[in-house]
Formats: sequence, structure tokens, C-alpha cells
Amino acid sequence: MEKGGGGKGGGVGGGGKTSLKSIPASLGGKDDNSAKSKRGRKVQFNTEGLSEGKFTFSSKSDGKFETTYGKGGLTKGGKGDKVANGAKVSVVKEALPLELRVEQELPKNAKCLMDCEAAHILEGIQEQMALLSADPTIKIPVSFDKGLLYAKTHSHFTNPQAVKGLFQSLSEHGVTDGEICVIANICPETVEEAYAIVPSLKAKRSRLNDLLKEVLIQLAKFKST
Amino acid sequence: MFFHIVLERNMQLHPRHFGRNLREHIISKLMKDVEGTCSGRHGFVVAITSVENIGKGLIRDGTGFVTFPVKYQCVVFRPFKGEILEAVVSMVNKMGFFAEAGPVQIFVSNHLIPDDMEFQSGDMPNYTTSDGSVKIQKDSEVRLKIIGTRVDATEIDKNISQSRPKWDPAGSHPSRFFCIGTIKDDFLGVINDPTTI
Repeated sequence: MEKGGGGKGGGVGGGGKTSLKSIPASLGGKDDNSAKSKRGRKVQFNTEGLSEGKFTFSSKSDGKFETTYGKGGLTKGGKGDKVANGAKVSVVKEALPLELRVEQELPKNAKCLMDCEAAHILEGIQEQMALLSADPTIKIPVSFDKGLLYAKTHSHFTNPQAVKGLFQSLSEHGVTDGEICVIANICPETVEEAYAIVPSLKAKRSRLNDLLKEVLIQLAKFKST
Repeated sequence: MFFHIVLERNMQLHPRHFGRNLREHIISKLMKDVEGTCSGRHGFVVAITSVENIGKGLIRDGTGFVTFPVKYQCVVFRPFKGEILEAVVSMVNKMGFFAEAGPVQIFVSNHLIPDDMEFQSGDMPNYTTSDGSVKIQKDSEVRLKIIGTRVDATEIDKNISQSRPKWDPAGSHPSRFFCIGTIKDDFLGVINDPTTI
């Protein structure tokens, strides 16, 4: 892919790189950094588009088009406040592949934990920690306390196993562990809310709708008890 | 999001620790070295849950130190782009606000706060809707979506573990996750308010 692009559009590769570089710079944060970050995000998104589109561009061998595309993306981002809506759209678009990447970004031996599961495990460890803390050389790191506090405050359920069983039916329909964990952590009240939170489910909407409704009703029962 | 994951690490041990308590020494060193650290790939290592396997040691030429390959399970916390989180607001200013979700810091710029919310300065700086019904201030709980993540430069590498004990005596994190979030979307925003308006 890179070679193909490199032949005709060295500019494309270069453009992609520079735009990528601009992202950490823009995240660095000054007054209008969010506008910049939006820009950065847009640009990044565009480069993703570019890398996909490279084939078609290079097959057309339209060098000019590539450069204007890159510039266009930047200037569009630069036009102040009206970007907001555009950015929103791009975020939503982005969320689709990003949600799925939860599984891809981590090694295969990683298992998603719901907050309630994590709280369960961490509380168990905390008890051991109390024993260990007799040894002054072992310090309980700050992130452990923060993690535990976070898991505790956000675990809506006391029985992780039951919740897991509830989601079994969803995972049979191809909902990934990552998606399930987000739903369990947020505990949406309506089906619409669930789709807004996990946009990648929208693709399977027709199949999931009834099932999801049922699961959310059950989930609400667990939450109250 | 929390994860349970199996990781491997080469632990270097001084010969003075060899003896009956070798295993305990390796494990306690592992805990000291690993817990609380952060890497871009795995996120924050919150806690080690178990040690699966300690391999055969290998003597390092010229030093007498021995490296043991250790396989361990741990709980990690890592934010993802596109993930929805519930976070607690830690600071509000005219640029936006900072929030914390566990060990992770999230910044929400004022461009990513709904347009009808305006910044109000004062003792307790906040973002408030024109009718005053919704208020974001310190200690508010917000539901936000992560749109960008970054790990500060120094990523930990397994192979430079020897140099670790020199820094980080107080458990400060060598690298931190930093995220950009938005509350400008459906079903995002304040969940509850400390002042209960």
C-alpha cells in the first residue's frame, strides 16, 4: 500500500505524516486547543480516509487531487465555530471502528472486565494488601486506590456472575465483550440510549432490538436490588 | 475500561535474595515494579492478581544478577477512543474542564460542551445552562465520550527495567494517560450534581 502510494504521491505520504504530527502538538493545549484538536482529529480522520483512498487516487494517478484533498481538510477544520456540527459527525463516524478496536488493540489474552467484576477482584486484593502493608517496603500505588474507587462507585451490580449470564444472549448474537462491558458499565435505561452509547450496535439493530430491550429490563432489575 | 490480562516481564534479582524465599522476593519486586505503572498498549496496571509462572533464571554475564522470566495476571485500566465513561470533574476553567475516571485524566474543551452552557467565573467556576437547570462544577459527575487518548512520552519498556528502581521511589507515575473527551452528544452530560439543584 505504501509503495503504491509512494510511486505517484510522495506528497501523500508526506502530507499524512505532517498531519499526524500536528495532532500531539494540538493536544498540547493552548487557549483554543479544542478547535485545534478538532482540526487534528479531522485531519487524522482524513488521513485514515486517505490511506484507504490511496488505491483509487493512485490508480487515477491524480497527484493534484491528493494535495488539494489534504489542504481542503485542513482549511475546512480551520473555519472556526461552525465546525462543531461537522466535528460531531466525524466523532460519531469514528466511534464505529473505534469501538470495535477494543478487541484489536489489546493482545488476545486480554479479557474485558465490567466495573462490577473489577470491583469484585480489586476488593479481594485490597484485603490481601492489608496483610502486605505490614511490610513497609510495599506501597500501595495511587492508581490502585483510584482504580478501586472508580470501580466501586461505578459498579451498579453486586452480582457480576448474574449480570454476565444476562449478557450471554447478546454475545451469542455477535456483540463483543468490549461492547457488553460499556453497556454494563453505563447501564442505559432505554434501547435508544444503548445505541447512542455503543454506536457499533446500530448495524445489527434489526436483530438486536428485542433482545436488547429484554436485557435492559433485566439489567434494571439487578440494579435496583 | 478494566481488563484482565496476562503479561510477561523479565525480573532481575540480586544474588543476595537467592534462597528459600526466592519466589517471595521475585513476587514482591514484581509488585513494586509493575503496579501503578502505565503503558500505551495496556494502560494502568492497577493490581497483580496472580503469578502464573516463574521461569528458569539466567545469569547475566559479568554481574551475577539473574533474570527470571515471570508470567503474571493483572487488572489493567485503559481508556479507549469512542468509549463512554462516567467521570468526576476535578477542575473547571474558561477553556473547559478536567475530569478524572479512575487513574485517567480527561479534558473536555469548551468547544465540546453544549453551546447552551456558558462559563461562569467566581469562587466555584462552572458551566451553566441559561435557565440554570444544569450545572457543571467541581465534583459533578459527568458522562462523557473519549475522542482522543495520549500517553506521555516515557513509555516503559520491559528491557530497561534495571534502571527503574532509581526513579519512582514515591510511586509517581512515569507515564500518564491523558484523554480528550466530549459531552456534546446524545445521552452525554451531567449525571448528578453535588449541590443538588
